[in-house]
Amino acid sequence: MPSVNPAGAFDPEAARARLAEARGPIFWRSLEELIDSEGFHRWLSEHHPRLAETFDIDRRGFLKFLGASVALAGLSGCGRPPQRQIVPYVHAPVGQVDGLPRFFASTLIREGYAQGVLVESRMGRPTKIEGNPQHPASLGATDIFAQAAVLQLWDPDRSQGVLYRGDAASWDDFAAALAESNARFDRDGGAGLRLLTGAITSPTLSAQLDALLRKYPQAHWHVHQAAGNDNAASGTKLAFGMPLSTRLNLNRAQVIVALDADFLSDPAAGVRYARDFVGRRSPESASATMNRLYVVESTPSLTGAAADHRLPLESGQIEHFTLQLAKRLGLAVDVRDGVLQQTQWLDALAADLQGNRGVSLIVVGATQPPWMHALGHALNFALGNVGVTIDYSEPVEKLPGDNGTLTDLTTAMGAGLVDTLLVLDANPAYDAPVDLQFAAALKQVPHLLHLGLYCDETGAMAEWHLPLAHQLEAWSDARAYDGSVSISQPLIAPLYEGRSTHEVLAALLGDEVSEGHALVRRQWQQQLPDDAAWDTALQTGVIADTALAVRTVALRADALVHTAPNAAEMNPLELLFRPDPTIGDGRWANNGWLQELPKPLTQLTWDNAVLISPLLAAQHQLVNGDLIELRVGQRTLQVPVWLMPGQAPRSLTLHLGYGRRRAGHVGDGQGFDAYALRSASALWTAPDVQLRKTGQRYELAGTQQHFNMEGRDLLRVGTLADYRHDPHFATASDRYPGTPPSLYPEYPPGEYAWGMSIDLNACIGCKACTIACQAENNIPVVGKDQVRRGREMHWIRVDRYYEGQAENPRIHAQPVPCMMCEHAPCELVCPVDATVHDSEGLNVQVYNRCVGTRFCSNNCPYKVRRFNFLQYVDDSIETLKAQRNPEVTVRRRGVMEKCTYCIQRIETAHIEADKASSRIQDGEVLTACQAVCPTQAIRFGDIADARSEVAQAKASPRNYVMLSELNTRPRTSYLARLRNPNPALPDI
Amino acid sequence: MASVLHPDDTLPPVLAPGETYASVTEAVSAITLQRRFGKSWLAGFSVAVLLTLLLTFGIGWLLAFGVGIWGLNIPIAWGFAITNYVWWIAIGMGGTFISAALYLARKDWRTSLNRYAEAMTVFAVSVSGIFPVLHLGRPWFFYWLFPYPDVMNLWPQWRSSLEWDFFAILAYLMVSILYWYVGMLPDLATLRDQAQTLARARFYGFFALGWRGEARHWRRFETLSLLLAGLAVPLVFSVHSMVALDFSEGLVPGWHSTIFPPFFVAGALFSGFAMVLALGIPMRKWFHLEAYITERHLVNMAKMMLAAGLVVDYSYLAEIFNAFYSMDRYEIATTMNRIFGAYAWVFWGTILFNVLQIQLLWIPRVRANRAALLVISLGVLVGMWLERFMLIVTSLYRDFVPSSWGMFYPTFWDIAFLVGSVGLFFVLYLLFVRLGPVMSMFELRKLVRKRTAESSNPEAKPA
Repeated sequence: MPSVNPAGAFDPEAARARLAEARGPIFWRSLEELIDSEGFHRWLSEHHPRLAETFDIDRRGFLKFLGASVALAGLSGCGRPPQRQIVPYVHAPVGQVDGLPRFFASTLIREGYAQGVLVESRMGRPTKIEGNPQHPASLGATDIFAQAAVLQLWDPDRSQGVLYRGDAASWDDFAAALAESNARFDRDGGAGLRLLTGAITSPTLSAQLDALLRKYPQAHWHVHQAAGNDNAASGTKLAFGMPLSTRLNLNRAQVIVALDADFLSDPAAGVRYARDFVGRRSPESASATMNRLYVVESTPSLTGAAADHRLPLESGQIEHFTLQLAKRLGLAVDVRDGVLQQTQWLDALAADLQGNRGVSLIVVGATQPPWMHALGHALNFALGNVGVTIDYSEPVEKLPGDNGTLTDLTTAMGAGLVDTLLVLDANPAYDAPVDLQFAAALKQVPHLLHLGLYCDETGAMAEWHLPLAHQLEAWSDARAYDGSVSISQPLIAPLYEGRSTHEVLAALLGDEVSEGHALVRRQWQQQLPDDAAWDTALQTGVIADTALAVRTVALRADALVHTAPNAAEMNPLELLFRPDPTIGDGRWANNGWLQELPKPLTQLTWDNAVLISPLLAAQHQLVNGDLIELRVGQRTLQVPVWLMPGQAPRSLTLHLGYGRRRAGHVGDGQGFDAYALRSASALWTAPDVQLRKTGQRYELAGTQQHFNMEGRDLLRVGTLADYRHDPHFATASDRYPGTPPSLYPEYPPGEYAWGMSIDLNACIGCKACTIACQAENNIPVVGKDQVRRGREMHWIRVDRYYEGQAENPRIHAQPVPCMMCEHAPCELVCPVDATVHDSEGLNVQVYNRCVGTRFCSNNCPYKVRRFNFLQYVDDSIETLKAQRNPEVTVRRRGVMEKCTYCIQRIETAHIEADKASSRIQDGEVLTACQAVCPTQAIRFGDIADARSEVAQAKASPRNYVMLSELNTRPRTSYLARLRNPNPALPDI
Repeated sequence: MASVLHPDDTLPPVLAPGETYASVTEAVSAITLQRRFGKSWLAGFSVAVLLTLLLTFGIGWLLAFGVGIWGLNIPIAWGFAITNYVWWIAIGMGGTFISAALYLARKDWRTSLNRYAEAMTVFAVSVSGIFPVLHLGRPWFFYWLFPYPDVMNLWPQWRSSLEWDFFAILAYLMVSILYWYVGMLPDLATLRDQAQTLARARFYGFFALGWRGEARHWRRFETLSLLLAGLAVPLVFSVHSMVALDFSEGLVPGWHSTIFPPFFVAGALFSGFAMVLALGIPMRKWFHLEAYITERHLVNMAKMMLAAGLVVDYSYLAEIFNAFYSMDRYEIATTMNRIFGAYAWVFWGTILFNVLQIQLLWIPRVRANRAALLVISLGVLVGMWLERFMLIVTSLYRDFVPSSWGMFYPTFWDIAFLVGSVGLFFVLYLLFVRLGPVMSMFELRKLVRKRTAESSNPEAKPA
């Protein structure tokens, strides 16, 4: 035995090396030999004592168990069918038709809050998420994170087993260890036991926490949410003397003022708010009123892009702006004059608000200090908006008691008061403010228990790392932004050894009920006593009448005493921290779809960059991709710059969530860790940052390089006044009005004529369509290098254009799927007829026939075609195969692909209609992009049917087609965007 | 004396005085049969083989990983491969034109040039042919462009110019190989007869197809040559017009232009003549062929190159003019982007090589200077490559929708395929000049006879 040295000691390194070289039968022989050796036994009992026990009992079991850690490469190909007899089912599960998808109502929880979803399950595999139309936070749509959840479920990097100090262990081992500590907690009332969680709205979890804190009165519960909304809760405390949740009724608001508030991206209610906001912007609607949105913000956001008037101001200046506004609206506030030049803006805004008392709305962002929130509430009171456009209720989130913050926990850890820390689905070792030195403090905790989806930065430090069951694998419940409770149903048994937070807490509690379903069911036993009610709740996805009641509140007299505007008139340079638009606070870093989803405003992928204003860039002679060093106090970070039009001149924005060290194969090492500069006292704005040019460059991967439309009329915008003057303003400038003649004959009409209409007035540019399409159509992730080379594969992209001055441009978004031209330039040039016209007007790509000349892409004026330049689809990872939609071909390298209008959904509808001998009804086919759109900007259907929604949308005077002068006759058309500027303000 | 361009021409004749049947046969066959492999030949051949190995490795890499190894992307889905393809096939055109068109026009100064020009054509077209196949996403299915009856009843798509281009290349390759080989038959027979070893005699005898020089052979040979020349000349125009339609069929601004077919033909002749000069000038020196490829040949070639170049230059002008005349914003934008955009250096390089430097050829002293001619023709070859790159890439990189604008950056493999294709061409060409008759011996003998007849009968001298 070469790997056993003369002294008989076992050398695992040498064994590994030898196994790596060995192949085939030799490998097996040598592994057996290896395991039989004396030295190995000794090594095993020293290093893996628990395994040594197993080993004596069952050698084969051991091979399965530890094989991976000895020689993963050699064993990976050796799977074999289970030893037990397998039997096909004789009686199929109720409702199951092989090959057909089923939809289950469930709940996805984002930062504590529920988003109701319908999960598509194909033969037991969750493959796609749709919104739940009955859920108040969804109304049938979802955000990008819900779409990406299904990829997270199948992520092979997820934690797959219990780890004890990094070595494989089992739940039983954990239970044994827990029994010991439980005995200790029983003795001392849980002194030294601390829990750390993210935001929690789950009633079951709340009840469990309460029970735990009752059982162990000495224990403490802390909440840490890296990008949480603590300021808002503190703000209601200032204003009303108690923490309350705020609910916006944007569908009732005529004039909205967002003060650094990106309500369209709100983690709890962004989807719903987007629907409500856009619902009041249609010029064709019966009310024919269009709301007006004023946004004052430091860094452009989705809400800023949707604004009629947008004012870039540094974070500190926004405070002064709000005070000035409050003064104009008659509030008793101290203002310093001369700080702001925007008097015209303030006057016009104040007048507009006064003129819309009761139907206006002031929204203050989560990044603003509590007193600003209090001031916002006071303004809403002063304007009579409370009860109309804004409501208050009991807090939706469960709030920790005093000393429940991460800072308190760190202090306790430093003082040696923490013996056992249970971290539930949080990652403070990565995302804690740097000045807390949390990771260092963690090392002093004797027993760190971590329950997480990934063995992340915190998990790596833990004594026990426990795999968390994915949301689609476990029972749970959660509240939506308005308090409505919905149940999370598991769509699949845990793929690995994951367990839910409820199950782990039950174990900690010594609960007699230990299983997730029973725990959640018990919680709702009172409210839903019989199974029929329970089933109804599951089927609808919402438990009826659980929304929290609206509370009548009174403003405290001293609501505004804490007003403390930024003392300095102007910060030298401020650094803003914001959650990343696509990977949030970092928890989504290992999700390829989200990493590759272009950030809505910069179109960057796979990285964060510090956003700076063009003015500042000119001062420091910086261009996109220049690496600069940021210095906040003593801490520095090198990060590339990105010029952001509309950024406040002295604000720099750095997104959180990047620079992960243990995210997984996808997320590790991408981007730059903004937490390295973030301190607990300045969570959102570091008031004094210095920047230094390093002279180095960094390659950023963006999907759009050019944001100027070059005066072309691809995206058409007018004001409400333009529209009133000439409803057909959008097509007034067409070079060839109407449909120009063509030498080619028309195609004979088919059974249906599919078409799409995209309302640019509704689109907020959130990119949910892009990721929904990716999920539906098996679109591969290509990686940063390929994106940098211009080879991203998204079938529907959202173009971003900036119009006007770089300091404060108008910001537009335009989703671009395939135009499905009736006279398609791509069809003409394919030598092998791989892209053809079908009888229903679809421009169909036949992957099997494609030889890959790419002439079709060259000839596509809209550049919507995507080519598999390399083998992009990962066909080696089994779990990723399970995610894919079986109704959509997986494309291999060398073929062209593009948007199909979700032809598989059309065909499904065809089959159903044929079975019923009827026609496909309007609304029966929803494309993936249409279904997910929070604002219903995308409409799809039969344009030959004048009553169809899409035909009616296309009948709008705002209807136009892109590049009409080319006479390609697209089936996808657009409705021009409208803005509603205040005539009293210059429309820049 | 034949083919005197000006009565007071002071240039040497197309054949040096004093040549006899025996001397021309001896001079040409000696290159093949007696001359040793020189050091310079070996050095050149080694370099060419190394480059060909690089190409071979590149092809293997390409088949293993896909066209993504090149710098292609969306929007620039065509790059070096198509540029190389157009460049090489255009070079081939010049050879066919010299050999076939001048044959039909009975210009006897073509005699010493036609053989190696034809060989150049065959090799250039062969090299060009690998690119349209390899640039496919799935090159192993290239035969789907062929209208063969299959069980699925699938046919090619006849509206696509790529389909016709496929046939154009095939037809051109076949005709140019036939024309080259048939024209070589009498000379192969001569080599067979001159060979000093049995192996060589058998080698050349095999390829000579039993040519015995009978009157019957000659008659059929002349008929076939005439027919093939008659086929080849229209092909020169049709093939390159077809190549042009690969672009002008598209609606891409910068491609969608009716001027492309004649423009491409002129460009093809331009680069073909340049290649004939670039190959002929060194060969003439190394193989001591000054008596056969005389100053007159070089001067005539220079004049033809200038003429073709001027047509090309006119096309540049017409294209720019038309862009503005059309008042089409996209055409104008593409033109402005070409001239001033990110790839402006390609445009100005093209102008330098294809417009400015060739104006030197107006000067007789430049035309008579072999070094200058060599430099200019190499410049034209570079310029024509740049022109094709410009036409393809600068039309695609900024077309209709600014959000999709992008840049093309060549990768190592892009460069490897370009230099590798040059290597492959030279492997073939250098082998040919060692193994085949580099000049048409029988036609040179005809020239000797004609000259003898003229000198014995001065009245027969043509005007």
